[in-house]
Amino acid sequence: MNDGAVAADRFAALADPTRRHLLEQLATADRAVTELMAGLAMSQPAVSQHLRVLRDAGLVTARKDGRHRYYQLRPAGLTELRDWIDQLERFWQGRLAALGDYLHNTELHNTELHNTELHNTELHNAERHNPRDQAEDENRH
Amino acid sequence: MRTDIDLSASYPFPPERVWAALTSSEALGTWLMPNDFAPVKGHRFTFRTKPAPGFDGIVHCEVLELDPPRRMVWSWAGGPLDTTVTFTLEPAGEGTHLRLQHEGFHGLAAQLVRRIMANGWPRILRRHLAGWLAGKTP
Repeated sequence: MNDGAVAADRFAALADPTRRHLLEQLATADRAVTELMAGLAMSQPAVSQHLRVLRDAGLVTARKDGRHRYYQLRPAGLTELRDWIDQLERFWQGRLAALGDYLHNTELHNTELHNTELHNTELHNAERHNPRDQAEDENRH
Repeated sequence: MRTDIDLSASYPFPPERVWAALTSSEALGTWLMPNDFAPVKGHRFTFRTKPAPGFDGIVHCEVLELDPPRRMVWSWAGGPLDTTVTFTLEPAGEGTHLRLQHEGFHGLAAQLVRRIMANGWPRILRRHLAGWLAGKTP
């Protein structure tokens, strides 16, 4: 399993709709913060702060190009998250298969019990005749 | 609505049987994980499994919905997850169709990840490759 704490940070980073928007922008091209501001009613410091959270979570990287700083998606960060979700999905697939096994096994078990019960019908009947039936018998007499 | 994890399975047993296996602590302990589940709405319980980095091995749950033998929803919080798990049962002939949805990975994060990986990733690769072939930094 991937480091759960890293996954936690990444999921937390993606909890914010603005940061998801930024990440989607970066999925198509590297962009400067001024470009990223275009679709957002937000100040540059605010956008930069969101980008910082994404960088700390390992989801984007930044590179300097002259006077501009360009932000770039870090695919490995996303791959690891996807692997994490895929792993959880495989966990559930395994559990659902185990549920099927459980149902079949209990069915077999019930069948065996049923057969045993049939086998012991006479004994059961004899036992059942004891306390309550006896009382009824006594009442009847 | 798209969900994060959406799985289906069919079992050749009636919904009541499958429901019993979903709502008995002992049965859940056999096919899922050791637990202190009780089929009561509002009941808080835990699953305990092997710890992993960033995960203490304990999943904290609560029964949010209970509609026998059709639907059950649990909250599911463990490690980085604060999510819900929904079981939906439908009769299918003599058997049961079970749907399992595990949703909520901090909003739509999981969907975003999958969408970008499905659509964006090949584009990113192409772009980087094109830049590489052109001999410049992508």
